[in-house]
Amino acid sequence: MQFQLLLPPKYKKIGVLLFVPSLLLAILHRFNDFKVDFLTVNLFEVDLNFTDEIALTGIILSLLFIAFAREEHEDEYISSIRLKSLQWAVLVNYSLLILATWLIHGFPFIDVMMYNMLTVLIIFIVRFHLELRKNRIANPEK
Amino acid sequence: MKNNIRIERAILNITQQQLAEQIGVSRQTINAMESNKYVPSTVLALKIAALFGKKVEEVFILEEGD
Repeated sequence: MQFQLLLPPKYKKIGVLLFVPSLLLAILHRFNDFKVDFLTVNLFEVDLNFTDEIALTGIILSLLFIAFAREEHEDEYISSIRLKSLQWAVLVNYSLLILATWLIHGFPFIDVMMYNMLTVLIIFIVRFHLELRKNRIANPEK
Repeated sequence: MKNNIRIERAILNITQQQLAEQIGVSRQTINAMESNKYVPSTVLALKIAALFGKKVEEVFILEEGD
């Protein structure tokens, strides 16, 4: 067996379970300025609230878990689908970023950069799972 | 590269699933190879040929342009 930098399959479920609350927390924080009070810390005379740090860390970790949990039957063919999907995701992600660079100017570009922190993982997860599914559907048990 | 996996499998009268289990890959992999969508690694090609009791080049055949 070749060495693979992948997590055990159960991490996909853990990732989904972590993603939902992290995303909710991030949305509440972003659009309603929601803050969890006990996450406020006084550092150097300044009150810092760590709600957004917790939310973003949760989102990134959960996406990494989902993206890099091993499939139940992860063999060389599935690894090749994984690699192709990852290359595809990186290409699409940076194509979109170039497009956004030219189309979106000034302050709103901060939003683009914010979403771009996560899009490469999201695009990869969607592409990889669509490819796996396509393979299963095109391939019913005979 | 083309291959005779489907034919050899018919001779042994086993399903894709059974072949997959005996070799230790997913059934999708067998299907992808049979429909020429995937070229297996040397290790996998050797395992398949061994299971069929054939030489690798009797199961996997180079094509023009390979």
